[in-house]
Amino acid sequence: MLDNTPKKDLNYVGKDVERIDVVEKLTGQALYTADLEFAGMLHGKVLRSPHAKARIKKIDVSKAKKLVGVHAVLTGNDLDYRVGLYLVDKYILARDTIRHFGEAVAAVAAETPAIAQQALDLIEIEYEVMTPFLDPKQVFDKKAPLVHPDLGSYSYVEAVFTPVPGTNIANHTKLRKGNVEKGFKEADYVIEREYTNPNVQHVPMETHIAVGKWDTGDRITIHTSAQSPFTVRNLFALSFKIPHCNIRVITPYLGGGFGGKAGIHLEPLCCCLSKLSGGRPVRIQATREEEFSLLPCRSGLTYNIKTGVNKNGKIVAQKMTMYWDAGAYADYAVNVTRASGFSASGPYEIENAWVDAYTVYTNKPFGTAYRGFGHVEFSWGMERHMNHVADTLGIDPLEFRKINALKPGSKTMTGEEVVKNTGSVTKCMEAVAKSINYGKLTAAELAREKKTGMKIGKSVVALQKAPAMPPFTGTVMILKLNEDGSVTGSHSLTDYGMGTYTSLAQMIADVLRWPIERIRLPIENDTDRDPYDWQTVASKGLLLSGNAAILAAKDLLDKCYDVAAQALRAQKCDLDHDAEKVFVRHHPKSHVTYKQMAVGYAYPNGNAICGPIIGVGRYIAQGLTNLDKETGQGNPALDWTFGAHGLIVEVCEKTGAFNIIKVASAYDIGQVINEGSVRGQAIGGMIQGLGTAMCEGYIYNDKGQLLNPSFTDNKIPTSLDIPEEIDCIAIETPQIDGPFGARGVGEHSMIAVCGALGNAIEKATGAVLTHMPIRQENVWKALQNRSGKKATAKAAKPAKAVKAEKPAKAVKAEKPAKVVKPAGRAKK
Amino acid sequence: MLQNFSYQAPETLKDLYALLKKSNGKATILAGGTDLLVNMHNNWISPESLIDIKKIPDLKGITFNPKTGLSIGATTVCIDLINNKDVKKHYPLLAEAAHNIGSPQLRNRATIAGNLCTASPCADMGCSLLALGASVELGSADGVRVIPLKDFFTGPKKTQIKKHEVLLRIVVPAEMAGAKFGMRKLKRIKGHDIAVASVAMARTAKVMRIGVGSAAPTPVVTADLAASTTLEKAVAAAEKVICPIDDVRAGAEYRRFMVKEFVGQIYPELF
Amino acid sequence: MKITLTVNGKKYQRDASETKNLLHFLREDLGLTGTKEGCGAGECGACTVIMNGKTVNSCLILAVEANGADIMTIEGEAKNGKLSKLQVAFKKNHAVQCGFCTPGMIMSTRALLENNPKPTVEQIKQAIEGNFCRCTGYQQIIEAVQDASGQLKKKEGLKRA
Ligand SMILES: Cc1cc2nc3c(=O)[nH]c(=O)nc-3n(C[C@H](O)[C@H](O)[C@H](O)COP(=O)(O)OP(=O)(O)OC[C@H]3O[C@@H](n4cnc5c(N)ncnc54)[C@H](O)[C@@H]3O)c2cc1C
Ligand code: FES
Ligand code: FES
Repeated sequence: MLDNTPKKDLNYVGKDVERIDVVEKLTGQALYTADLEFAGMLHGKVLRSPHAKARIKKIDVSKAKKLVGVHAVLTGNDLDYRVGLYLVDKYILARDTIRHFGEAVAAVAAETPAIAQQALDLIEIEYEVMTPFLDPKQVFDKKAPLVHPDLGSYSYVEAVFTPVPGTNIANHTKLRKGNVEKGFKEADYVIEREYTNPNVQHVPMETHIAVGKWDTGDRITIHTSAQSPFTVRNLFALSFKIPHCNIRVITPYLGGGFGGKAGIHLEPLCCCLSKLSGGRPVRIQATREEEFSLLPCRSGLTYNIKTGVNKNGKIVAQKMTMYWDAGAYADYAVNVTRASGFSASGPYEIENAWVDAYTVYTNKPFGTAYRGFGHVEFSWGMERHMNHVADTLGIDPLEFRKINALKPGSKTMTGEEVVKNTGSVTKCMEAVAKSINYGKLTAAELAREKKTGMKIGKSVVALQKAPAMPPFTGTVMILKLNEDGSVTGSHSLTDYGMGTYTSLAQMIADVLRWPIERIRLPIENDTDRDPYDWQTVASKGLLLSGNAAILAAKDLLDKCYDVAAQALRAQKCDLDHDAEKVFVRHHPKSHVTYKQMAVGYAYPNGNAICGPIIGVGRYIAQGLTNLDKETGQGNPALDWTFGAHGLIVEVCEKTGAFNIIKVASAYDIGQVINEGSVRGQAIGGMIQGLGTAMCEGYIYNDKGQLLNPSFTDNKIPTSLDIPEEIDCIAIETPQIDGPFGARGVGEHSMIAVCGALGNAIEKATGAVLTHMPIRQENVWKALQNRSGKKATAKAAKPAKAVKAEKPAKAVKAEKPAKVVKPAGRAKK
Repeated sequence: MLQNFSYQAPETLKDLYALLKKSNGKATILAGGTDLLVNMHNNWISPESLIDIKKIPDLKGITFNPKTGLSIGATTVCIDLINNKDVKKHYPLLAEAAHNIGSPQLRNRATIAGNLCTASPCADMGCSLLALGASVELGSADGVRVIPLKDFFTGPKKTQIKKHEVLLRIVVPAEMAGAKFGMRKLKRIKGHDIAVASVAMARTAKVMRIGVGSAAPTPVVTADLAASTTLEKAVAAAEKVICPIDDVRAGAEYRRFMVKEFVGQIYPELF
Repeated sequence: MKITLTVNGKKYQRDASETKNLLHFLREDLGLTGTKEGCGAGECGACTVIMNGKTVNSCLILAVEANGADIMTIEGEAKNGKLSKLQVAFKKNHAVQCGFCTPGMIMSTRALLENNPKPTVEQIKQAIEGNFCRCTGYQQIIEAVQDASGQLKKKEGLKRA
């Protein structure tokens, strides 16, 4: 650890410190992008495609251009620029081809939003509607229409991704560990099932918004609700071939992001409209409806898992095939595929593992990063599957998980060795199991069942995630000493609600031994003024930025010691410091205050030395590697945060209605930095996960048109939808390279809770669910399909192993999967 | 709003009638706006002019008379109904139905009359007022006419109201005061959601009625059933008036199932 | 149309566009940007203000409809530079993350406490049913309201195993 201050001397780290950005948020004074006004600002609006796939036969904007108050009209024909994060595949406005419902076709900038809307209404377009490609599982169908016939000509990050030109595969991630076929042969059982997730919307309460200004001389200023200002700058520079130093990206307060604001979205369009309007600032604020299809969502996933397992409960081989429904553009989906590919097994050791993860282009709104980065989706399948396998074996599902859990000495799927300080998933499971009285119903619960007539079920699931990031991910913290001895930081991780900046301030305060009130970390970021940070994603912020903050604080102190050494004629080794000053340890009266040295120390006669003081901390992930493209072996993980959820549900066997009685969650986060923030992330993510589990998800018709792009039909959890009881538990196995031993938890709370719900419902009633979301109606249907016996009934001892030759059939929510089981015991 | 329209707020019924007549069908009445402004926000409709009826004293208020029943003025909002003593005492079903609508913010603005005039199949006041055998009073410069609510809805988003008419008040018959009742609403979440299927039932010594929402093109009601109708017959009667469809909210089969299930759940509460 | 209204105790007179909703009027014409827009369609509650004593979605009200009304927005909650008891409780209980729902949330809970100084947990949940929060999962907001009404016995915490 970069700081070894004994715990007893910590004033802030590990405590419940109030957020540093809370007052402005509570008073309405925090300024979000939509709250900013710019002289001469125009309003941009986007015309969206009503079709999933079409050719633009004709587009006529002449009437729109003539409308008074309109300053710029753009179509794809005007913009020959492609943007892309890992695979450069997207035009700013569709050119010739429409690839998804809601795709931007034309854009207008006008003096008022109403005029912009009128102008859009005047644009005439003729489409030739074509057959869309909608089912990612048809990816190997040679006759399938191609979403990107030119895939072979796109540039992409070659060290990491593998697109397959001539198909709809934007990326194929492979992982090969051990010998799966041999493993299956040796297994007592081979059990296979398929699990599905739809597209899901992030739903930050603040919709995407950007204000772009493109001045003469190609100087560009962008105010945007982006999570990663430097990524916006970088991709903008690459697409338009403009020097980075000409582009300034400013992120004011952000109203949530959850990954949906991680990439580059509305910014290029705002800027192009601005350029055409002679440099007037152009603002585009997405409507809530546009959030659902113009802007990206979470990729869907069809996940097939084939598990070879021994009678004693040890998994010996597992083949995992993921079909990621990326939608029309690769964006982050290719990296979601990669990151989930290497941890597709969940927090379990798989000796012989085989993963094929495909990012499949389809004619749907495109997927991007979303809290959990693929882990929410695959954990739904994996955690359901773990129960399915355990039930088949007749082993308690928690016991089964413990048998297979990663522990010191085990190897992850990429071959990385787990050590004691990696953390303990078993401890997490045990903590939540205890919290929910796993494995039995208490007297109170039995009484409740009797009273309500509903059935209560419990489950425990486990989860893990490492940051998904390039091996060279780095960040910088700069601390500037102010005249009064306070410091102002400069940093580019964005804090869009997580509370990271408060945690960083706590760490800085403890390293400096100053009161936290003297540390200011401005929430707004500015690529012209603040130093580089890769992106605010992946739950890497606390670890990397935390280390940078510690190093910056130490550097600042070091600079202060330099001044004091000179001023006091002392060696640095004889100096010490407190909140006000640096002093000679054995002569405390001999000191220099921070105030005295802040802008340069001056002797009584006026001579001055040293100049203003800043501290700089740079940190980059240590020892990570790219993964071998053929085997997936390597070291991709900065850290692993393990966790578990325990869930209690009650279900009405007649109607399928259910209530979540309790969720207990535990995470091994190394070291709690801020209690309230950890709890906030834990609960917030868990509820967002339950949203995914219970009610969210895109619904399309067979033409690929989105049918529920609004809160009316895409419900998210409200205050009435939270569990009756919530328990949050932190386990602290220190991360050796983590700041004060801490590791991230921002995404983890959302992972696996869906599987916990599915498992608890099955435990309560025997209803088998393999598709998310689980609506009351889906439970009802699954109840109708129940076999006579409950699926959770204790399985008898297996007679003889039976091997699966054919994969099980695709499973819809209504039908339980076919399970290959010992002869004579297979159920319909 | 991205649309252009004019706004007027007449202060008397007479002025309202005159405006409606003059507008020749181009004006749209604005009550709570919780439906209208959403439709305009989504660009589904673009009225030329809005006529706000909230300033008209004649359209305000809830009154109860043991002989003539309950009168709900057109600008009565959900929260007024929920808090009204007479409603709580004599027609608690209506308070429950109004409580089922939206969120607190919605209930502070949404009118009962607006809920009927929108004529959405899922309107929560629709099935409950139908179960209570309510009728509506429509007024215009040509005079006032009263029609039973069961004849009011003519299709999804369609009613008997003519372009120059306004719904003045809703009348719930006196004989339904004190009726035994029950209501169930199937939602996709526990928080505010429109009905995916809903059932409201009322029973007096003489009659039993079942109003159903989100299971037909409009809110529907059974014929007047005998107060002693058996559960099986009640279920059958409800099934007869519905024709649910599959949509993004639910499947027809589940809607049918839940309507029957709800009738079964409410039935014992009526005795 | 000329309208007069009182916002946070201050009288305003403006020529309001008939097509502007109260939300945009407050934000653009009065410069009160604390009230947020999350959907413009009455679903999310980010735009909640208190009008004549009742919470409303300001996105579903025309500015001209508010002629003569008495309105409170988030900007009226802190008095003389001091946070209200409710705001302090939100602060203490980590009831704020991104802060975008916060102004509406404060308005809804302020209205609740005015009518019901000691609400139950269920009543608190019902009062904020129309205010989406995507960040917090609501629990810490509920605790903050309990705290503000003097009902939180012990501050809820993170357990450490
Ligand atoms: C977020 C949200 C949630 C909702 N939840 C529910 C719910 O749970 N249950 C439910 O039933 N509804 C719900 N609604 C729909 C809506 O709130 C109700 O239908 C409401 O009662 C409509 O009343 P209003 O006064 O707002 O009508 P307005 O929007 O003012 O008017 C609706 C229509 O009726 C016409 N109209 C209104 N009054 C009259 C009159 N006196 N004479 C003639 N025509 C008139 C108008 O011209 C307009 O066409 C919801 C709406 C939203 C936005
Ligand atoms: S903005 Fe008004 S309710 Fe969402
Ligand atoms: S704090 Fe972000 S939406 Fe509530």
